[in-house]
Amino acid sequence: MKISWPHMGSLEFVLSSVFEELGLDYLLPPPSSQRTLELGARYGPEFACFPLKTTLGNFIEAIEAGADTLIMVAGRGPCRFGFYAETQRRILEEAGYEFRMVPLEFEPGKIPATLRKLRELKQGRSWSSLVRAIKFALSKAYLIDRLERQALHQRYLDRERGATTKALEKCYRMVWEAGSYDALRRVESEAFDLLRSVPGVERETVKVGIVGEFYLVLEPFFNLGVEEQLGNLGAYVERNIYLTDWLRPSGKNPVAGHHDRDSEEAAQPYLTHFVGGEGLHSVGGTVLYQRHGFDGVVHIMPFTCMPETIAKSILPQVSRDLGIPVLSLVIDEMTGKAGVATRLEAFVDLARFRRRAGERGLDYSLQPAF
Amino acid sequence: MRYVWGWSAMIVGIPGGLLYYRYGKLWNSFLQALGAEVVESGETTRSILNSGVSKAENESCLPVKVFYGHVLALRDKVDAIFVPRLVSVRKGTHTCPKMLGLPDLARAAVEDRIPIIAPTINFQEGMWANYKAVYSLGRLFTHNPVRIIRAGVKAWREHRLYLERLTLGLDHRSALRGEAESLLCEGRELRIAVIGHHYNVYDTFTTMSLLDRLSSMGVDVVTADMVPEEMRRQELKRLPKEIYWSYEQEIAGAILACTRHRLVDGIIFMISFPCGPDSIVRVLCEQENKRLGGVPLLALVIDEHTGEGGFLTRIEAFVDMLWRKKGERVREREAVAV
Repeated sequence: MKISWPHMGSLEFVLSSVFEELGLDYLLPPPSSQRTLELGARYGPEFACFPLKTTLGNFIEAIEAGADTLIMVAGRGPCRFGFYAETQRRILEEAGYEFRMVPLEFEPGKIPATLRKLRELKQGRSWSSLVRAIKFALSKAYLIDRLERQALHQRYLDRERGATTKALEKCYRMVWEAGSYDALRRVESEAFDLLRSVPGVERETVKVGIVGEFYLVLEPFFNLGVEEQLGNLGAYVERNIYLTDWLRPSGKNPVAGHHDRDSEEAAQPYLTHFVGGEGLHSVGGTVLYQRHGFDGVVHIMPFTCMPETIAKSILPQVSRDLGIPVLSLVIDEMTGKAGVATRLEAFVDLARFRRRAGERGLDYSLQPAF
Repeated sequence: MRYVWGWSAMIVGIPGGLLYYRYGKLWNSFLQALGAEVVESGETTRSILNSGVSKAENESCLPVKVFYGHVLALRDKVDAIFVPRLVSVRKGTHTCPKMLGLPDLARAAVEDRIPIIAPTINFQEGMWANYKAVYSLGRLFTHNPVRIIRAGVKAWREHRLYLERLTLGLDHRSALRGEAESLLCEGRELRIAVIGHHYNVYDTFTTMSLLDRLSSMGVDVVTADMVPEEMRRQELKRLPKEIYWSYEQEIAGAILACTRHRLVDGIIFMISFPCGPDSIVRVLCEQENKRLGGVPLLALVIDEHTGEGGFLTRIEAFVDMLWRKKGERVREREAVAV
């Protein structure tokens, strides 16, 4: 049994460490590429959301590389994500691929079925070793998130463009190779030292926050490296979701589920009800960024994403009321890198001018969202 | 709540988009029984669609854009707009995320100039929460509990009657009126199922009067409402993963029942671009249909740019194809008989 799963940002380091730890056979899909996108768009339903197509492309490439068991998380709505596994299984079967899809569901009613599936996946390893492996992988995930956050905060100070990104990649490696908690602790200080030792320059700060759909915010290949682009343009970047927000037991959903009370409360004047996915958190996050003195918010969403479309309809109002510029980037397989780069450039410039004007106490008119 | 009303009745607007095509009767009679003056935005027109398209987000689906148009049409005429939030209409299911955020979208559309009345209906939380929501809605208009309960019962009866008329084969408009010159399904030779969300099937403007046109082509139409509920439930039980959208359950159930039992000669699946749940359910229905060796299925995607010419051509071609297929089958049968 060769197990595989789609790419999603740094998820590969976390999940593969679980399988390494258990000594199970697994296979990472080839790195996402233009071909992944083309495959996904060819087989995927016409106006299904973008992540469905990209993960479908990952699955196809994984099967071609020899994987036979595909893991996917499933759920029960209201967002389409809960139905991905089923839809992708149908599409792949119709396209003639041979594989087994293992959808893992984490609602209270589905726990026994999920445990049965996990028992198959662990192939005779003990439950306690599985739990240990997951726990260890989670601590790696927490560390990775902190490293990513550090990279976001310091990238704009790079003397040499891309130095932080390179250092971060080295850090991922180091974390992945750590085999014990002791090693992980050592890696933690080494990795932070490595990141902090990247030579920097003095620079005027302009703060940009990122909100948006979980997968697209986390996946640098498909969001066209928005984080990195913003950093290179000279923005101190923060984002409101990290991988562990969905992995850690929190709030209403005890196993998987992102439940951030602060941003839900902040969203209240504009969006009063959960709309699936991160719709509510995108609105709430924007309000929180404004409260924390950020100069602009970039909202990333896949084309036709239902919760984010609602957020996008409401964000102009938030932007008008609070006077914080919001740039909504809608991304799908047709999105060109140059177009996004131009818009980000203009956006960072705008945020910088507003900041300067604000510091000098000049009056500047409120910008509508665009 | 911050509604202030004097001696005259409050004027409440009901936008005629989205779920109006299912609960319009219910809302209207409930509000009227409570003593409110109800203004409906009426049927979709070109100007409603245009104003909706210019106000709504690009990525919204067509019915949401139409809904925006209806809200804007009401904006200057009423004291408040009634946009309930239907979170779930059956236990264990959700509606589309856009319905969950609809009151907030409406609030953004009117820019907070007039209040939005938005009771939350959620069957996941049990009936008691719903009764409470309806009761507190009633309290906005009257302090007499008996009157609220009576209004609720009356509205519910009328709603059941409306739904029953739909199952008997009246379209939305004649079901609202309670009378019809002709039924959708009258026992003509060719029968086509037109299945989709209520607001995609019954909105005469965005569908370019598809139902009427099919009737005038001499074709019987079957809607999802006319497929018996028990049949739909049986089909849903057979699926490996349960569909968790309330209205998609009806659609998928109806399509699969039509295919399995050969209730119709062809199926037209009405989808509005870019409907999220439909894009997923479409894959499911097309595959199951193929697996069952079922009936021809035409997935018609409509958006605000759909031209009448192209739309009609496809419908006519589909109907012609079905006639030819039917003719062949009839000829085969005759040959055997000879």
